[in-house]
Amino acid sequence: MTDNTVCSTEELLKKSSEDVTVIINGREYPAKKGEVMLGVAIREGIEIPHLCYEASLSPYGACRLCMVEKRCRDRSEMVTSCTLRAEDGLEVVTDSPEILRHRRMILELYLAEAPKSEVIKSLAARYGVTKTRFFKKTDKDDPLGNKCILCGLCVRVCNEIIGAGVISFVNRGPYTVVSTPFSGENSDCLGCKACVSVCPTHAIVTGDSGDERIMKSWGETKVKMRECPVCGNYYLPDLLAEKVYAKINPPLSKNIQEMCPKCRSRNIAIKEISASSNRR
Amino acid sequence: MKTELPVGIINRENSGLKKLKPDIPRITVGLATCGAAVGGTAIYERLRESIQKRNPDLSLVPTGCIGYCREEPIVTVAHPGKPLVLLNRVSVKDCDDILNAVLSGTVPHDKALCRIEEWDHLMGHNITYGRGFDEIPLYDEIPFFGQQKKVILRDAGIINPEDIDEFLAVGGYSAAYNALRNMEPDTVLEEVEKSGLRGRGGAGFPAGLKWRITKEKKSDKKYIICNADEGDPGAYMNRNEMESDPHMLIEGMILGAYAIGTDEGLIYIRAEYPLAIRRLKHAIAEARELGILGENIFGTDFSFDIQIATGAGAFVCGESTALVASIEGRTGRPHPRPPRLTDSGLWGKPTDLNNVETWCNVPVIIKNGSEWYRNIGAEKNSGTKVFSLVGDVEKVGLVEVPLGTTLKRIVFDIGNGGADGKAVKAVQTGGPSGGCIPLRLFDTTVDFESLNAIGSIMGSGGIVVMDEDTNMVDIARYFISFATGESCGKCIPCREGLKHTLILLNRILAGKGTAEDLDTLKSLSETIAATSLCGLGQTAPNPVLTTLEYFRGEYDSLVKL
Ligand SMILES: Cc1cc2nc3c(=O)[nH]c(=O)nc-3n(C[C@H](O)[C@H](O)[C@H](O)COP(=O)(O)O)c2cc1C
Ligand code: SF4
Ligand code: SF4
Ligand code: FES
Repeated sequence: MTDNTVCSTEELLKKSSEDVTVIINGREYPAKKGEVMLGVAIREGIEIPHLCYEASLSPYGACRLCMVEKRCRDRSEMVTSCTLRAEDGLEVVTDSPEILRHRRMILELYLAEAPKSEVIKSLAARYGVTKTRFFKKTDKDDPLGNKCILCGLCVRVCNEIIGAGVISFVNRGPYTVVSTPFSGENSDCLGCKACVSVCPTHAIVTGDSGDERIMKSWGETKVKMRECPVCGNYYLPDLLAEKVYAKINPPLSKNIQEMCPKCRSRNIAIKEISASSNRR
Repeated sequence: MKTELPVGIINRENSGLKKLKPDIPRITVGLATCGAAVGGTAIYERLRESIQKRNPDLSLVPTGCIGYCREEPIVTVAHPGKPLVLLNRVSVKDCDDILNAVLSGTVPHDKALCRIEEWDHLMGHNITYGRGFDEIPLYDEIPFFGQQKKVILRDAGIINPEDIDEFLAVGGYSAAYNALRNMEPDTVLEEVEKSGLRGRGGAGFPAGLKWRITKEKKSDKKYIICNADEGDPGAYMNRNEMESDPHMLIEGMILGAYAIGTDEGLIYIRAEYPLAIRRLKHAIAEARELGILGENIFGTDFSFDIQIATGAGAFVCGESTALVASIEGRTGRPHPRPPRLTDSGLWGKPTDLNNVETWCNVPVIIKNGSEWYRNIGAEKNSGTKVFSLVGDVEKVGLVEVPLGTTLKRIVFDIGNGGADGKAVKAVQTGGPSGGCIPLRLFDTTVDFESLNAIGSIMGSGGIVVMDEDTNMVDIARYFISFATGESCGKCIPCREGLKHTLILLNRILAGKGTAEDLDTLKSLSETIAATSLCGLGQTAPNPVLTTLEYFRGEYDSLVKL
């Protein structure tokens, strides 16, 4: 019920090329006005733990680990650095006693929520948290192997970047999970594994078997794979191939397009070699 | 410059006056949801049938709720030239007695609660009913009423909320008319700023400032929204405001739209309020018909209209960003601010969101001026606030008092203390995420800052009284269980933190807790409050933190120390 933070303006939000100076832990750093502060910290090698940030996606602010103390005139305020935008003279502290205390508590909550995740365990250990006082979630049937921390990256990448919208949040509160509609197979899935590559806790399970890719965590969704006419390996989901090839302009020649990347590069290399030996 | 109302509207105003003060007796039945729920509808039907059968010259109309919920169903009788008499706890079997009395020129004295000789509707149109029935107490002599100050509820329970004529008759829409004809939008805005009006939805953000920020944004399109989601258990003032006086809200929104400069408003209302939705829709249609909404309002070049959007009942959808997501058809999950709605709100356009009661304050401010308004209430907390006084209190109901009134006055002078003679132990203000305030702090004044200082919040205005039999740990568990169920699940402190808070409280209540559990409970609550994304998580631990602070002994006695 708070609408009344006063220290920000619309200008902050507009990306600009204006150079500004921000202060992190008492030291000055250059930044672009409107840049995400977590991004500045990452670039400058200042450690701020974070699990739900991805530069190419819109700000989300859900994992709450990246909170920093924003000093604003004579008051300070805890804010997520992944949603905080750089402005000239902006001062933040990343490791005040207050921040450290809450960070540890949140890490304890994560240890209970995703007890099987090695990533979470080592992240917590880095901040001195090796065990949790809270009940650990253990669900043997969890398709995400008790590793999901609901950062939403998979959902967002599938929606915002891939445009497929295969998975979403189901239920709410402590019952929230990421899943396909009714946890069943979803034929909209391209099998692109973008979700797998953004998942910070390696929770999403997939497996390739013969001409099928099985998105085990997403309702065992099966995706047909394309076979390389040269080596016979299955190398690319059909739907994804159609989507990608439709975008390439001018289109690739048919015989190259069908090949897997390995065979394609071999094919090109052979052509190059024979061309150059012909020249000689 | 004084401008006369258009003839069409004057006619309707006169017709309204004739309805409010007819030359035949007028009977009303309180038919807000609360009145209907305790038998008002049956009473109304019975009276209607009997009147039809006996065919006397009597007028019968529904009204909203006058706020004294404990005494409902409430029926009023006004003989021409005589006071308006309130009858309380009426039942269907009283209907014949009432009619017999009315037909012989009197009222059933054994059912009479109080009488009203004159009523100030604050919009320049007092209604004088008359004198007589001296043996019935005056309205002001009833402690529940006498200690209140009715500004927002000035028409509630008196006028027919389904008849624009009656609203016009008590001065309704005169502020909007005067503003649109004779005031610059900036002047309207300045009046609201000077009034010191603060948002009644919980945070107390200055309404005029939010209007100004929205006004100053450059955009081809802007919106204003009324937040009528009212999800706090035990809070129902917004519902009553809309059911009893829907045009007041519409007038407030017209003034806001004019001041800010927009032609489109929305009311986001929970689907669980069917009667309020019906009355609002009816009121909007009536206003359109008279040219008070729509194109060229009152013949000026200002146009504005209101749509209704219904919510599906998630508490978190009352939060501003989740509310907008819900209207746009997305899942109601909050997103971090900035951007605020005033930057990028509905459909990405600058949007001003205010609570029902915030909007309802605007017409009286414009009518009587900011100075008049600032004289009500306290420093930096001007005006009145409607509270729903519920729980273990004797006189349950809707109570309107100036901000800055003490808890003691509300609970004891108005509410008459604990129900069934029990001792009052604590109150909880501010809905499920408010703090529990012990009796020894009842000198605290009810204003935004004082409540925050003792760990509670104003919230939307729920006051839940708890008596000596209440187990405060159990109370904390109840509210945490509510908040856990309503958490949207987006951020970990709220989603997981509240769940573990609930587990800890259950363990403690089962007698299996330890002293360490109490420490964990406290530090976990602090983290949830400090790190949650939206107001739900940020305030949800208040019941735990305040009961730990003020009723620590109850926790200690439950754990092995
Ligand atoms: C979980 C949650 C629920 C809320 N519910 C309501 C509500 O039911 N009605 C309301 O007016 N404001 C509610 N609010 C506050 C709104 O976000 C917002 O601050 C308010 O509507 C602004 O109006 P005001 O400035 O007139 O108070 C809620 C906030 C939170 C965090
Ligand atoms: S599966 Fe991975 S990416 Fe998706 S919400 Fe869970 S932790 Fe995040
Ligand atoms: S605080 Fe609770 S309700 Fe608000 S965003 Fe976080 S999980 Fe959702
Ligand atoms: S990275 Fe900022 S909240 Fe997750």
